[in-house]
Amino acid sequence: MKQHNIRLHPLGKELVVNDQTPLIDLLHEFGVEFPCGGRGTCGKCQVSLLKGKITVSEIHRRKLDHLHLPSNVRLACMSLCTESITLQVEQYDHLILADETNFEFMPERGFGVAVDLGTTTLVTQLVELNSARILAVETMLNPQVKYGADLISRIQAGLDGHSTEMTLLIRSAVGNMIRLMMEGAKQIPDKVILVGNTVMQMIFSGCDLTPLSCYPFQLENPGTKTFTASELDWDFPDGTKIEFYPSIGSFVGSDILAGIAATGLHRKEQYTALIDLGTNGEIVLGNRDHIICASTAAGPAFEGANLSMGMRAVTGAISSLRHDGKTIQSSVIGNTKPRGICGSALIDAAAILLEMGLIGDFGEIQSGENSILIDDPVRLTQKDIYEFLLAKAAIATGVTILAKNLGIETSGISEIYIAGGFGNYINLKHLLSTGMVETTGDKIHKMGNTALIGAKMFLFGKGELADEILGKTSHINLEAFPDFQDIYISKMILG
Amino acid sequence: MNEIIEKLLEAVEFGKIDQKSPYPPQLRGMDGSHELTQQALAAGVDPQRILEDALIPAMGNVGKKFAENKIFVPQMLMSAKAMGASMVQLKPFFASGAIKSKGTFIIGTVKGDLHDIGKNLVAMMVEGGGWTIVDLGVDVGSERFIEALKSNPGAVVGLSALLTTTMVNMGDIVAGIKACDPATKVLIGGAPVNADFCRSIGADFYAPDPQNAVEYLNKLAS
Ligand code: B12
Ligand code: FES
Repeated sequence: MKQHNIRLHPLGKELVVNDQTPLIDLLHEFGVEFPCGGRGTCGKCQVSLLKGKITVSEIHRRKLDHLHLPSNVRLACMSLCTESITLQVEQYDHLILADETNFEFMPERGFGVAVDLGTTTLVTQLVELNSARILAVETMLNPQVKYGADLISRIQAGLDGHSTEMTLLIRSAVGNMIRLMMEGAKQIPDKVILVGNTVMQMIFSGCDLTPLSCYPFQLENPGTKTFTASELDWDFPDGTKIEFYPSIGSFVGSDILAGIAATGLHRKEQYTALIDLGTNGEIVLGNRDHIICASTAAGPAFEGANLSMGMRAVTGAISSLRHDGKTIQSSVIGNTKPRGICGSALIDAAAILLEMGLIGDFGEIQSGENSILIDDPVRLTQKDIYEFLLAKAAIATGVTILAKNLGIETSGISEIYIAGGFGNYINLKHLLSTGMVETTGDKIHKMGNTALIGAKMFLFGKGELADEILGKTSHINLEAFPDFQDIYISKMILG
Repeated sequence: MNEIIEKLLEAVEFGKIDQKSPYPPQLRGMDGSHELTQQALAAGVDPQRILEDALIPAMGNVGKKFAENKIFVPQMLMSAKAMGASMVQLKPFFASGAIKSKGTFIIGTVKGDLHDIGKNLVAMMVEGGGWTIVDLGVDVGSERFIEALKSNPGAVVGLSALLTTTMVNMGDIVAGIKACDPATKVLIGGAPVNADFCRSIGADFYAPDPQNAVEYLNKLAS
């Protein structure tokens, strides 16, 4: 078979590939992202052709014209290698939230591995169980991102015949991360506990994704999945206990179960909430007697997808904004030139632009123009602001409906924990002033990677903690709530 | 009489439902579409005029402003509600034949999908364009669309889907409808849908927003 050389600039990498290899199969490893899963709709997988040729199909041409791209730019998701080429790819640094929070534990013998298997990122930690000390950490991008940024695109990929491939990819990625930690720390884990949302659990376990693709979105068996190392093709002793923890219901998975453990919500007397500001937008509300949760499907705006210049919290992303009444100042991750805007700065932008009177309560740009310059060349368009409002309203509606369900007002929630991928960048004051969360500054806290913290807590004992939480927790279908539409639309107003 | 019609047009365009509703601030304390319609009917205004000279132009303005990003979903909903407060009073005249509608529009969210906010807005805007609405709700498969078409021959069908996994069901529904009656027009919408997809499943028209849908329907009716 014919082979070609692909050089990646400025990474200095050179790859040898077979003729007709799709670029999507090569480039996701090097940080090129494929938010729409290669459907050609998002335009985020651009690469510049520095040398050589990539033949452009008719549909590819139409997408390129539509996006008004320079003539040397190609959409990687629609390109095949047919000769040797040099490509310029933007180099990404990944900011993945690991965690070093202290928690209470009963010392045990041996070692454990906690895995937070996120839709976008993977984090593993090797923990010494008699001290809860973290001996090693590994992080990486979920290799499934080449099938799309959100859960539904992964489900779609599964339905399109890629489920086995996704299962193998994720198993081998996690297996490698654990192996690297074992080599570094020279220890073998006695148990491995994985947490993740329902779709990640099903893909890892090799289960059918069809039930999650359409109403009623219910799984037959969302319980704990147990594996042996050899089943997973992992290179360590079969005595190690490997468990993917159970989902709570529908799209709310064990990452949220772990989140509940991390906040200690299940032991609190007062009503406490956990809000995960991700695509799924899970919300938990309850106390030691009773806990309810739901996914609000906020959409990927907080992860920077679906915005004209949105990106995840990686090098070149504007991560936060301030203003002095006249001008807007931005901080850019990696102190470089800004390339785009990520979720935390999107929240800042909504709050600041409203404060400065540049947008109105409905998010309307007051100048009558179609966009606002944030930090050259990064702009926020009217549609971007609308995307934010859709996501913001989803979260606010979820909290309101869960509170109504328990017969309390949102103001009756005594503490609110915010989890989500943007870590420390999020500005809680701005979050409140957009009206996304209706509470006061003293009651709201950021909590980082609650899924990972909880997964580590689950390493201790024999599953009692998870059972205790599951016994009290039920999942609520938001669509069953008759006033959803009116509440949702009223929450699309800022402030 | 013209004055009532003008006031009603304004009330609907700016979303004033009734006298006690606080929205919009600039019309606070004034009569809303509920009262104004009562007054118009009491004064003997032809119901057809209420529809054609107040509701349709008001909702037409709303649709245009929405499509141009001059107003947003909350404002559109308030206008639609104000229109609804007038429309309930006109219902008997539709039934008696005193008002003629432009046609019937059957709409539903497709099988497997429960998202209905966009669908509801489209239904309200099309109703405000002078059409009779048959809303089949959510999770609707081709059988129910076909059934509704049998009771409403000549109706136009609108399909909504918000999930990439359920928009494929649009294809089956379009095929089912066209197999029964190839002349039936089907129009589709929803966030993941686009014109390419519309063509690929053999639907007749893709509308990105309610205004485009109303314009397409009006072209069919004329
Ligand atoms: C509100 C919402 C919900 C509500 C729905 C409540 C309801 N009664 O509708 C709840 C919380 C219940 C929900 C649940 C789910 N959701 Co949801 N949801 C949303 C959200 C936040 C907004 C959708 C919306 O109402 N937009 C506002 C309306 C006005 O816009 P619109 O629907 O696009 O309609 C406009 C046009 O499209 C057009 N139009 C619409 N229909 C039609 C029809 C015709 C004929 C025409 C001409 C035009 C037209 O006109 C409208 C006005 O301009 C989006 C996220 C987002 N950022 O968009 C996710 C989103 C749609 N949901 C999503 C998902 C995955 C789900 C769930 C499957 C999973 C989950 N995480 O919980 C569940 C399952 C729901 C079910 N059983 O079907 C995904 C879909 C992803 C994908 N690639 O397909 C989204 C995009 C979020 C995401 N990225 O994860 N969701
Ligand atoms: S356009 Fe290529 S992944 Fe979206």
